[in-house]
Amino acid sequence: MNRTRTLLKKLAWSIFTILFVIVLNFFLFRVLPGDPARAGVRDPRLKKEAVEMLRVRFGLDKPVINCFESLNPIKLGSCTVNPLDTQFFIYVRNLLQGELGISYHTNRPVADILAERLWNTVLLIGAGQILSIMIGVVFGVFAAWKARTAIDYSAVITSLMAWSLPTFWLAILLLFWGSNNGLPLAGKATPGSSALPLLQQWADIGIHMILPTLTYTIIYMGEYTLIMRSSLMDVLSEDYILTAKAKGLSTFQILKDHALKNAMLPLVTVIAINLGFTVAGAIQIEAVFSWPGLGLAIFEAVGRRDFPVLQGAFVLIAIAVIFANFLADLTYNYLDPRVQTE
Amino acid sequence: METTIKVIEPKNQWADRLLNFWRVFSKSRIGIVGLVMLMVIVLMAIFAPAIAPYDSSSSASVEIDDIYNPPNSVHWFGTDDAGQDVFSNFVFGARVSLTVGFFAAFISIIIGGVTGLVAGYFGGRWENVLMRITDIMLVIPDLPLMVVIVALTQPSLLNIIFVIGLLGWTTTARVVRSQTLAVKSRKFVLRARAVGAGNGHIISRHILPLVMPILVVQGVLVVSLAILNESALSFLGLGDPTALSWGQMLNYAFGRGAMSIGAWWALLFPGFGIVWVVLGLTLLGQGLEQVLNPRLDTHHLLPGRPAIQRGHVESRQAKGALLEVQNLSINYINEGKPAARAVEDVSFTLNKGELIGLVGESGCGKTTLMLSLLRLLPSAGQIVNGRVFFNGQDLTAISDEELNLVRWKEISIVFQGAMNALNPVRTVGDQIAEAIIKHMPAIDHDKLQVRVIELLDLVGIAADHKEQYPHQYSGGMRQRAMIAMALACDPQVIIADEPTTALDVMIQAQILELLDSLRRKLGLAIIFVTHDLGVVAEICDRVLVMYGGVTAEYADVDTIYNEARHPYTQELLKAFPDLTKPKKKLSSIPGYPPRLEALPAGCRFAPRCPAAFDRCHTEQPSLSEIGEMHFASCHLIEASK
Repeated sequence: MNRTRTLLKKLAWSIFTILFVIVLNFFLFRVLPGDPARAGVRDPRLKKEAVEMLRVRFGLDKPVINCFESLNPIKLGSCTVNPLDTQFFIYVRNLLQGELGISYHTNRPVADILAERLWNTVLLIGAGQILSIMIGVVFGVFAAWKARTAIDYSAVITSLMAWSLPTFWLAILLLFWGSNNGLPLAGKATPGSSALPLLQQWADIGIHMILPTLTYTIIYMGEYTLIMRSSLMDVLSEDYILTAKAKGLSTFQILKDHALKNAMLPLVTVIAINLGFTVAGAIQIEAVFSWPGLGLAIFEAVGRRDFPVLQGAFVLIAIAVIFANFLADLTYNYLDPRVQTE
Repeated sequence: METTIKVIEPKNQWADRLLNFWRVFSKSRIGIVGLVMLMVIVLMAIFAPAIAPYDSSSSASVEIDDIYNPPNSVHWFGTDDAGQDVFSNFVFGARVSLTVGFFAAFISIIIGGVTGLVAGYFGGRWENVLMRITDIMLVIPDLPLMVVIVALTQPSLLNIIFVIGLLGWTTTARVVRSQTLAVKSRKFVLRARAVGAGNGHIISRHILPLVMPILVVQGVLVVSLAILNESALSFLGLGDPTALSWGQMLNYAFGRGAMSIGAWWALLFPGFGIVWVVLGLTLLGQGLEQVLNPRLDTHHLLPGRPAIQRGHVESRQAKGALLEVQNLSINYINEGKPAARAVEDVSFTLNKGELIGLVGESGCGKTTLMLSLLRLLPSAGQIVNGRVFFNGQDLTAISDEELNLVRWKEISIVFQGAMNALNPVRTVGDQIAEAIIKHMPAIDHDKLQVRVIELLDLVGIAADHKEQYPHQYSGGMRQRAMIAMALACDPQVIIADEPTTALDVMIQAQILELLDSLRRKLGLAIIFVTHDLGVVAEICDRVLVMYGGVTAEYADVDTIYNEARHPYTQELLKAFPDLTKPKKKLSSIPGYPPRLEALPAGCRFAPRCPAAFDRCHTEQPSLSEIGEMHFASCHLIEASK
């Protein structure tokens, strides 16, 4: 009963956050000076008709939202306009229909470009997360179990060093390393590999994934090691560990049956909060290895000042992260008995 | 009247604090390493014009042959795509990266600090709104948002500083809020408010000094994040083209063919600079954290210290005794400090079916003594003398594997505070079953379930609570579940460590009755640890009174209650009501038990003893037999003999 209630609350909260992102995105692109569509309208060299055409073409002739004619908050407009005919609601409607505008560079719908890129990013982040979490958990457990020994200290120092690496720089270093070891350096597949049988295609993608995934794993492994270590240290100092020891359980049994689950629970939350940061890593990795994901799309769009793509990528990534956060909350609720029954 | 109170000048106080802080900080090795690493780069940035051999802004003399030269005697770090000296750019790049890092972090810290302080201090609606905003900002991925904003504005240094600063405050706000909440409810804040101090005064004088340290640690972290973010933005092509930061150098080199030419020097050194600074900051942050928020990195699975024996006297267990503790001494080892002598020379015997009470105030070594019997001491604890015999085995000497067979199967423990002694994410039934499976691996599933239900029934818990979690139990139920768990393997001895302390009087009586009846029914021997002589009066056979780690008095229960000789026992007896003597005046002993690191030279009770005389302050009394099975350690008794 209460569990459903918390879930609904979390869901409502996620939806509210998504709405916030949508509104933020709308205003960012209208308040900040860089958008070429609006810059074009202000270009003094254009004739009046041309300006008018541009305004109509980009929907700038419509009021921003009910009661506000333009972004100047003092200059009020009519409140009785059809809300569906204002810039804001047209923007929201388009967004809901999955329409994110047309790329300045390729003239293709942004939604199409991003849709084919999204899964590549999910693939990269997925593989990287699984690996870095697994390695981080193992290292963290060893460090905490062997606390205050050489194993512990070297695990902590290594983790701090991994944490301090700029992602793109590590990617560049691994690029050098890979180029000396014959690994594919760019892209997701060898050109022409689509003619091969499915299994070989997958193997090809797998080989292309090695360097990006390795970079991702090294960068985030350190953080998970530190989190797992401190979480496990906390749990191992609890009284119930002493109870387990008094029961005559072996160290391995205590770790397995009493410490790991308790220590993993906070990790779920941390992984969720971290997702936003890991996206940042993915962007840099994709930029270096030309991995055709959202990050590369952003990198290319920055170079070309392709604003619709940037805008679309931001909204898509933000919504994906919020959604993933919600999923993590669900998982946590499912795993922790204290939440279920409270 | 009031004016005389302020004696310490605040300026001196700050200087003192700073000095004190430095004294502690200088012991943190990684903190010092981090500080040195950071200072090297900061000095390099400040004296950049003196250090750099070339002026980074002039490229007038560059020729086509100068492009991407490998490191040589003229250009230590080689040259870049524009033929410029990488080393000079590296030195000047430190200025840009550090500027962005520090200024952006400054903005973040101010916003995050104020947000957290206001939310934590004022609470209510303020807190709600501010923390909701923080939560939203925390979820939105920051790098994509930074990219969008910087791309839409001009990628200038100022814009980058503001964007990074304005988006990097969320964690600081959270950390500061929780610290403020913790400080807000401290006594001196409540007192200041009670005497009518204004909010501004309380925040600036009481809250801020305690939030500041955390803000500093957080600040160090935020600087490193800002430097990383700046480099990422620059690398993605959003850096200020006129200010050559390390990230910008990497962007140029990577975008202009350094990879294909193999000009590793143009890519290696700037990145190395970033790693150096960020690692320095991270280590500094860790060091500060260790100083400001010291955490003992210890836990229950750290290997214990092996027991040592002072003499080589071959001792053996007395016949007929179930458990015999002989001259047990336990120290806590603190590196760099003298060992704390927590228990010294304690002996007692437990026979089958007997209930012995171990009495004393908190901090008298009772729990240490109990934990040492099964070698459950924290890693700093060490048995420095004495033996624990059980069934002819010396528990201080056998291997861990052998000991694990004795633990719970023969001797089990009812811990104080069953809430924490039970694992919160496993059901109570499951935790009871675990003990049985461990010591009777062959038991089949059905029998196991029957046994668990039987055990719960024994302590008065209905079978349908078996699948529930500890937090669904009431306090008394948890304690009874703990007892059921202790009975799981039919042990011969149960150690009950203050099992009733946290419970209300009614439940206390129930638990006591339960333990007593179980003893009679199952023939258990029980060691009952308590600070309350009244509790054990009815059920104990013998009482051992401990003070400051030593035996004060040891005798059977009637002797203790009627003919107590040690002043400490007498004082303890005065502290509980006796129904047979309704006019008795209750009194408590002034003062506290001695700190184990600073034990008095003579009798440990002497500073609080109403009957202490000269000898008590200089010489430690030894335990002597003053009657049949009646032991006490007191100069007074010896003198009166």
